[in-house]
Amino acid sequence: MYPLYLYKEMSNQCEVSMDKKKVMIKVDNVSMRFRMSNDRITSIKEMVTQTLKGKVKFKEFYALKDASFEIYKGEVVGIIGRNGAGKSTILKIISGILKPTTGTVTRNGNIVPMLELGSGFDYDLSGRENIFLNGAILGYSKQFLKEKYNEIVEFSELGDFIEMPIRNYSSGMLMRLAFSIATVVNPEILIVDEILAVGDENFQKKSYARMMELMSGGTTVLFVSHNMDQIREMCNRVVWLDGGTVKMAGETKEICDVYKI
Amino acid sequence: MNENKYDLKKIGQIALLVYILCMAVFTVGAYNVIFQSINKALYVGIVILGAIIIGFYFAYLQWCDKHNKKSLGIYFIRTYCKYQFLIEQLVTRDFKIKYKRSILGVFWSFLNPLLMMLVQYFVFVTIMKFEIPHYAIYLLCGIVIFNGFNDCTTQSMRSITGNATLITKVYVPKYIYPISKVCSASINILLSMAPLLLVTFVYGLFNDLYLKPSILLLPFALITLIIFIMGMGFLLSSLMVFFHDIEFLWGVVASMWMYATPIIYDINTIAVGKLSWVASIIKLNPMYHYVEFVRSIIISGTSPALSEYVICLAYSFGMFAIGAFVFKKTQDKFVLYI
Repeated sequence: MYPLYLYKEMSNQCEVSMDKKKVMIKVDNVSMRFRMSNDRITSIKEMVTQTLKGKVKFKEFYALKDASFEIYKGEVVGIIGRNGAGKSTILKIISGILKPTTGTVTRNGNIVPMLELGSGFDYDLSGRENIFLNGAILGYSKQFLKEKYNEIVEFSELGDFIEMPIRNYSSGMLMRLAFSIATVVNPEILIVDEILAVGDENFQKKSYARMMELMSGGTTVLFVSHNMDQIREMCNRVVWLDGGTVKMAGETKEICDVYKI
Repeated sequence: MNENKYDLKKIGQIALLVYILCMAVFTVGAYNVIFQSINKALYVGIVILGAIIIGFYFAYLQWCDKHNKKSLGIYFIRTYCKYQFLIEQLVTRDFKIKYKRSILGVFWSFLNPLLMMLVQYFVFVTIMKFEIPHYAIYLLCGIVIFNGFNDCTTQSMRSITGNATLITKVYVPKYIYPISKVCSASINILLSMAPLLLVTFVYGLFNDLYLKPSILLLPFALITLIIFIMGMGFLLSSLMVFFHDIEFLWGVVASMWMYATPIIYDINTIAVGKLSWVASIIKLNPMYHYVEFVRSIIISGTSPALSEYVICLAYSFGMFAIGAFVFKKTQDKFVLYI
């Protein structure tokens, strides 16, 4: 047991060494409140009748409550927690899809979120057209897509099928195409919801290797997983969310050991 | 991967060229009206003043860019460069999908209004009779403009709810969706002008109605109409997220709106007598002004009065401002209600 002032000094030293690194993502007191009414009211008639009956009661539900943490350049940070702990919510807030009820998120650098692959696909268009459409949605420039087009097709192993409408693709082909488009960039910040290994065994190996390559190349990675072995293997730091609050944050080993129990 | 390359000098030059072109077209198209109300020297003075203002504004923007100062113009140019590719992709997607599985393809964009015109021509010209000069063309102008408006607003209304899967998964500024939808839908309005002009030309050969230089003013009417539609699109698409009833309600409102616009009838017939108050209400209807603008260009062959230009511009930018305001206020809640 150390006296209190020593603790303080130690933590100060810690902050100093951290300050040297550039903060890439700063999550500051973020709360996300959802309102749950008994049924979501989506028609005027319903709203009027329900209000007249005095039935519109909102149950408030905090998916996140005062969560704060920082992520530094080049780190691989894992987010762990049980189902409903707010992991996906925090990823959505960081990638800008949801706006927090209170608190702020600052991001320094371009973010590529890999939350759900191929959500921008249009099934009547061909593979080639979808590469450009999906690429544009992910924020790639025209020039960049033209340069990388061959690389994407080659990685996806689709060959001549690329000119076919993707409604005729098998689910494996779709995932391969989506994966190839999403991982062609080298983003500054990469957000991953579960490591993606798609396709047959061969492609799984290849995609796993590609993910590893992306994560090791100096990119800042934010990574959600339930697989503790993966977390231990890859992360520098871990943030443990529980019931919408940050329960613990720190070195991987330390937190994983506590989390197990 | 996201370089925003833009050359302000080039953009400035293009803006100046476009301005000169617009003024030239306007002067030729509205020759009579302009010189009836303003004297020549004053008009030339105003035109040159406009050019000088544009020139100076871009010089100012360049200065801002060099000194890293914020300004609204640069912000617009940057956002445009950033999302221009995405909008382009979304518009081509909408357009390709629409005709992907049909044999005639894009040709339907011409054929559809043409066939519609024939049906309505038959119904209203041969069965019902109105005492309006060149009634066939009078009717068709109204139908084409109003159908375009109706089609565009209905499609853009669904632009947010229809892209729900994207909005909940990827971050893209939400205004991109209504804008790209209005762009792709308004291509149809532009395309339907071709059959309208064709029919007018053929009809004119037999009935002494010739297209005059005033036809050059058509782009003005269409652009103001499209800006108006964009405002409606913003408004309706954001309301649609919270109340799905809007979808069904809008069908009724649109048909009411259609009858409140003098498409089949002539407003002058009700302007006298008991119903004159109806006529004065109809004159508040923005669509009335757009339709009358087009009719004046095509049938009378003269530019409308200068006040009509002001009214059209005021309606379109007014609607745009209202729509954009509502959209901006509500957009953060979209994700929660979709």
